[in-house]
Amino acid sequence: MTIRPIIGMGAVAATGSGVDELFESLCEGRSGRAELRGFDRSRFRAQHAYEVDNRPVAGEDVPGRATGLLLDAVGQAAADAGLGEDLSGIPVLVGTGLRELRSLELWWRDGSPFADSGLHFGPGLRERFNADVTHTFSNACSASLYALALGSDLLNQEGDDAPDTVIVAGVDVLTESMYGLLERVHPQPPDRVRPFDRNRTGVLMGDGAAAIVLRRTEQDAPQVHGRLRGVAVNCDAYHVTAPSPEGIAEAMRAAHRLAGVKPSDVDLVMLHGTGTLLNDEAEATALADVLGDCASGPLMTAVKSMTGHTSGASGLINLIVGVRALKEGRVPPTVGLEEPVEEAAPFRFVTGEAAGSRQLNVAQLNAFGFGGINAVAIVEGPR
Amino acid sequence: MTSQSTDTTVVVSGAAVLLPGADTVRALAEGPAEGGTPVEPAEHVGRKGLRYKDRATQLGYCLTAAALKDAGLLGDDGLTCAPESVGVVASSNFGNLDTVARALDTIRDETVTATSPMDLPNASSNVIASSAAIRYGLRGPNLMVCNGETSGLDAMHWATTMIAAGRAERVLVLGVEPDNDVVRKLLGGARAVDGGAALVLESRPAAERRSATVRAVLGPYTRGAGTPVPGSARRWELPEHLGRASGAHGVLQCAAAVGWFDAGERGPVHAVAGTAADDARAGLLLMAPEAA
Repeated sequence: MTIRPIIGMGAVAATGSGVDELFESLCEGRSGRAELRGFDRSRFRAQHAYEVDNRPVAGEDVPGRATGLLLDAVGQAAADAGLGEDLSGIPVLVGTGLRELRSLELWWRDGSPFADSGLHFGPGLRERFNADVTHTFSNACSASLYALALGSDLLNQEGDDAPDTVIVAGVDVLTESMYGLLERVHPQPPDRVRPFDRNRTGVLMGDGAAAIVLRRTEQDAPQVHGRLRGVAVNCDAYHVTAPSPEGIAEAMRAAHRLAGVKPSDVDLVMLHGTGTLLNDEAEATALADVLGDCASGPLMTAVKSMTGHTSGASGLINLIVGVRALKEGRVPPTVGLEEPVEEAAPFRFVTGEAAGSRQLNVAQLNAFGFGGINAVAIVEGPR
Repeated sequence: MTSQSTDTTVVVSGAAVLLPGADTVRALAEGPAEGGTPVEPAEHVGRKGLRYKDRATQLGYCLTAAALKDAGLLGDDGLTCAPESVGVVASSNFGNLDTVARALDTIRDETVTATSPMDLPNASSNVIASSAAIRYGLRGPNLMVCNGETSGLDAMHWATTMIAAGRAERVLVLGVEPDNDVVRKLLGGARAVDGGAALVLESRPAAERRSATVRAVLGPYTRGAGTPVPGSARRWELPEHLGRASGAHGVLQCAAAVGWFDAGERGPVHAVAGTAADDARAGLLLMAPEAA
């Protein structure tokens, strides 16, 4: 096990831009839910999402929004870590579910300019930051924690070429095709994201981006927000959309092993909690199994109740919110959770107001994606 | 985590190619002839389970089965090694563009109610990597690299990185690009290769433990904006008539290197991807088995 300091953070979501604003608005229980801002609403049964309200003209979508949010988050994190705007030679690992597929859609139907080089984020990162060691991973909803695992592997390498600093990021914005197909599989159109609630109707997407700067050692770091203890990744090899509690539980146990923690050490769980039918039960079953007698120990929350499902960005948004929660001893609530599903009965959800004045040391972060690709990370606070 | 070893050398222990005009690494290395017929997935893996799968996923099934068999990891009764010991890293840029465009057309022209729920998994770009894992029971780390022109060589790099980190003893690397109307429009009328290649990368100790035949040894990888240093190593050129290889390009070059080594060539091979017009260039050196 090797512990790596997190020395820079940046984030943007429907609920706020910048880590401070995002964290405060989540602690206040403020939701980013609104009527669809960039699509023709007459084409859909569902009418709401959790979008970043940054289009130049209301109601008119523009290409390149995913790249824009990513550059914002990476710029925040790089500045926070004192790296400046020249990121040449520094690995930048981007996890995403949908790449720039929204720009492809606008090209296909509405004739906006687009080339195949615009599908991934390398060109945008090169133009803004001169970054040239860039990698776009399209790993569904666990993409940014998968990227985090690979970033930690780079920092564990030895030798002259091994990097001292790695930037890990995640980003996604709504695409019409994914938004539509997701609502299509729900019996009734989802209205809002209510993770783990018996009466939830399903998942809705959100826009978001997050980035962190990881370093090999704490020497000369401007600050340490928290520390990464370990990330485990695996694949259920079970179903293209349905999760497997066994595969998820294996990923959690592997993360605990890698990080050198026991279930009783976990003070906070930042749940994947998408509000998707079946998925919340699978996550709860796996988590209850892994925590065993300690299932009622850690505080738990699902911030997708306010950010919506930010897909590839969601794992890293969870990390940033989790790290800040450990530092401040405050945990944002799960909004809209009234009657937890039976599988989650033992859990101590934070509901209503943010939980405050706690001594919290270790957080577990969950992210699971289509195809049964699971990623679980363990972080500790700055103290 | 798998057992740690001080030997972090990664080797190639299996390879497969499927392109119009080439279905072996030897044929690829020699250069596929013009006028080859399109790959028919059902002829390779049977019809079962192909319905509702996009072209890239079907091609991925064929390449996965062929590479795992070539490496001695897939028999008539399934995998011959622990499912957790095999990861997947797939590379494709155009993989699911047809599904995205078709679903969007349906939504715009008829509303969301007319879309097919069967398209949902294919709307996620990682469907190639996860579908290969599901069909063949590969439970190690599962990664989809969509990184532009360098994507195939980047996939080789991340597979190597995960093996060196002890996340998996072996990783199937898959590079595939489908050809269809959406892709052709995006490429200004040019065609894509409509096929690809797959390699099994393995830690040398893991390959030795199961007495696998080493077909190539991986050397250093680089990615960056700089001009690659011209070396004496041989390079494989993609024949123009095959079309754009994009995310499959790097993996095809590595498979061609295996073809040369299988044929007795002993000089190193340099795989390169990306040009000054792209966001970066990548390079990977491959050496003949004796270099190990």
